[in-house]
Amino acid sequence: MHKMLVEKEVQPHRRSGLMTYRPKMAKKLLRKSPSSSNKFNSANMTDDFQLHLDSSDDDAPEEVTFEESKASALRSMKNALETSKREKDLLKEKRRKRQELFQEQKKRRLLPAHILEEIDTAPAKKQKLPGDQAESNHEEASCSWEEGREGSKEGYEKETKKGFKGNIRSLKGNYSVMRVADQSSTNSQQQTAMDFIQARLYGPGSQRTTNNELLSLENKRGPNKSAAMQFVNKKWGTEKKAKAEKLKKQWIQKQKVPSS
Amino acid sequence: MGEFKVHRVRFFDYMPTAIRAMAFNAHTERLALARMDGSVEIFNFTDHYFQEKVIPGKDSRSTESLCWVGGRLFSAGLNGEITEYDLENLRPKYSLEAYGGPIWTIISNTQGTQLAIGCEDGTVKLFEVLEEHIQFERNLDRQKGRIISLSWHPSGTHIAAGMMDMIRVFDVPTGHAVQRLLVDRGFGGSKSQETVVWSVAFLSDHTVVSGDSAGKVQVWDGHTGTLVKTHLVTKWDVLALSVSKDESSVVAGTSEGTVIQFQFIAPTLHQQQDKEWVRTRTFKNHTHDVRALAEIETAIVSGGMDTHLVVRPLLEKFDENTEMAEITLAGFDSVLLFFPQRNLVSCAKKAGLLLFQFPGQLELWRLGDSDGHDGRNTVNIVDSFQTKGSDHICCSALSSCGGWLAYSTVSCVRIYRLQTDNNNISITKVSKLPKALRSAHQLCFSSDSSKMFAASSQSSVLVIALTQSECKYVHTLKPKSGQQPIHLMTTSVDGKWLAAANSDCEIRVYNLQKLKLHCIVPVYGSCPSAMGIHPTTNNMTVVHADQQLFEYSIVEKQYTDWSRKLQKQGLHNVWLDRDTPVTHVTFNPKNPNQVVLHDMHMFCIIDQSLPLPDQKTQFYNQMTLRSLSEQERPSHLHAFKICKTFQDLLCVSLLDDQSLVVVERPLLAITSQLPAPVRQKKFAT
Repeated sequence: MHKMLVEKEVQPHRRSGLMTYRPKMAKKLLRKSPSSSNKFNSANMTDDFQLHLDSSDDDAPEEVTFEESKASALRSMKNALETSKREKDLLKEKRRKRQELFQEQKKRRLLPAHILEEIDTAPAKKQKLPGDQAESNHEEASCSWEEGREGSKEGYEKETKKGFKGNIRSLKGNYSVMRVADQSSTNSQQQTAMDFIQARLYGPGSQRTTNNELLSLENKRGPNKSAAMQFVNKKWGTEKKAKAEKLKKQWIQKQKVPSS
Repeated sequence: MGEFKVHRVRFFDYMPTAIRAMAFNAHTERLALARMDGSVEIFNFTDHYFQEKVIPGKDSRSTESLCWVGGRLFSAGLNGEITEYDLENLRPKYSLEAYGGPIWTIISNTQGTQLAIGCEDGTVKLFEVLEEHIQFERNLDRQKGRIISLSWHPSGTHIAAGMMDMIRVFDVPTGHAVQRLLVDRGFGGSKSQETVVWSVAFLSDHTVVSGDSAGKVQVWDGHTGTLVKTHLVTKWDVLALSVSKDESSVVAGTSEGTVIQFQFIAPTLHQQQDKEWVRTRTFKNHTHDVRALAEIETAIVSGGMDTHLVVRPLLEKFDENTEMAEITLAGFDSVLLFFPQRNLVSCAKKAGLLLFQFPGQLELWRLGDSDGHDGRNTVNIVDSFQTKGSDHICCSALSSCGGWLAYSTVSCVRIYRLQTDNNNISITKVSKLPKALRSAHQLCFSSDSSKMFAASSQSSVLVIALTQSECKYVHTLKPKSGQQPIHLMTTSVDGKWLAAANSDCEIRVYNLQKLKLHCIVPVYGSCPSAMGIHPTTNNMTVVHADQQLFEYSIVEKQYTDWSRKLQKQGLHNVWLDRDTPVTHVTFNPKNPNQVVLHDMHMFCIIDQSLPLPDQKTQFYNQMTLRSLSEQERPSHLHAFKICKTFQDLLCVSLLDDQSLVVVERPLLAITSQLPAPVRQKKFAT
């Protein structure tokens, strides 16, 4: 088992002239795997360790000048910066390529440009009719807020009727004209609101039980103790029961036919 | 009493709808109730909680909140519209789109000049209440969450809005939010879920009381925005709050079905103690969530998902001087109103057919022969609505020969011709209806099926003649003064008389041969709940909501002797104590002395030839009579013979072949189909 002791880092900022003291490391530590050498991130340091491999434990520490250590520190920093830059560039490239790929895919999915243009011009006119009416009336409604909303509401109704009578065109493609009133009145907002209240009262975490349970509890605790309301859930196996019924009827039919 | 063969009918799957909101109008003493299917009911609290009016609902309308402004009723729902109701014609007057998304609540200020609604998009919109309509005024500052509940300060200057995780207090003249009260989230697992402030109440000393989904009722100081007291009342939600008029008591309704009362009293008996809000009583009258609550002067009214309305009188509010005490002294328990006080079942006496009225459809059933074999043919007509806007059915009727069927919604009336040949029934719709027949509050066929009567606006009755396959308008019987809608109509067997009663307690009798008003029955203080005209003597028996019984002779235009005798002696206390009104009066063709009536819990045969019971005799004496010998019986008989064998009755009717039809709807069957209740762990279960 490798025991990894962390080496004291060499400080780049030191007063000039000072000798750096590099502590001795046990011989075991120097048996480093290539991956661990990346941790320390300087080719220089490994070189130094290699040098030490030969020296013995009892020698005095070597003298390393300040400039040397400064230079090695600077080099290691530069390398680090360079590698990070390289990684960033690589990522950018990847992203760009992905984006291009998506654009291409999107282009492939859309119809050719000329068809799109055609469709755009034709139904835009027709759909603008009801859409326009609604928009313009909404604007009307919102700016005549103070005047009286009743009046604007009447106007809206009249206009929609007029709009439809005056503009009857043939539509290309799969479009159909519908009145707003005919559509289901549960729009998405209303549905969200109903879901909200349903989830708060009956959703998860609401700790609900069944009516069967409630009535059974009353039976259990009442003055005349009796059994639960419903032992058997009658909905169990409905499909099987239905199938059985069908088969029974068929069999009866078969029995009748030969006899008659 | 006689023996009858009984057709016991339990296949009417009537499901009442849950109560969503209620509003009490203190001036007119009316309670308006909104149900989840969009219908609105008005109860008269001065008249034994009689269900005066029912406005049928609509599939697309969902009411979330109701509010009275003077005598006008407004509602708002998740479809984003404010609706005003026409209470005299029993229909919505108009609907105004508020453009704020689904509306959660609607309130009015105490002066009755403004309405405020709380919308899904976070705005509180103010509307001005004008003569015939309402008009948008302005928005208050828009907030970043939905506004679930609102409460107006009695002075009209501030509004408290309950939202998600907080309460905001707005200053109405400027529209800005001046205070923010932060509501804590629940404990344990519910910390991740936002707390919904389901209900707020703003008191005149600027105290805000709030009920939220973490089960707390909190009391805040509205001036400083600080929390004064928290009461953790339940593990589930506190869904509704209501403040009494004198602001000394607040009631809160929870998901468990309990109603908890808080009172503003000094907690101990020291003289100099400050008053504070103390939890006092708990009422458990419901099995499911309580969603609507109103505290009126003498009672607490609650309603919720278990569909019945409970009125719980508060004993301390009764002094010896109040009139109510005389009426309700014997019945201080809660009053539970389960079934609608109208007839949902029509019976064709000669043909043995039953018509069941549901909100969205009608079901026609045939009763079996009286040798015990009930062969039921069901013919479901009008299964799902394709009528305009999917309105619900208002009323329906079946002619006694079984040849005609009619129903009405708020927008249309439909008449069908039925032809029966042995076991098949064919139904053809009558296409051309008279234009005057737009919608009817009540429908009734004459006994020979030659005419149909439709009660329409302003207490008038339309007479339609029915021939082989078409209908022709004949006449309108219009009274000189009559505003309220008719809720009861009945004809005599010989086809000469028609009696119509409206919500103003007026009963008018019309002469059908001359097609004009014959007489008006003297007005009695309580509303009639059931009427019937005797086949031979043409005496009209009227039962009122306060359980009084009168018999009026139409030919002589005065009360009969039997009726005077009954009034002089007074009805027995046990009869007067019943809390559900009589909904149907019918007669026995074989025995002209007998009148058959029923309410929800019993049916009664009144034999006019027998002596009337006085206060000391035992009222429910059928069981004791059975134990007496033949000689002793005649001395103990009295006129009111009550049978309680069949429970939760919707209709009791006598067919021409002397068999009794009893339509029951067991409450247990209704309870088992309600939405899920909360799970309560009880010890040793």
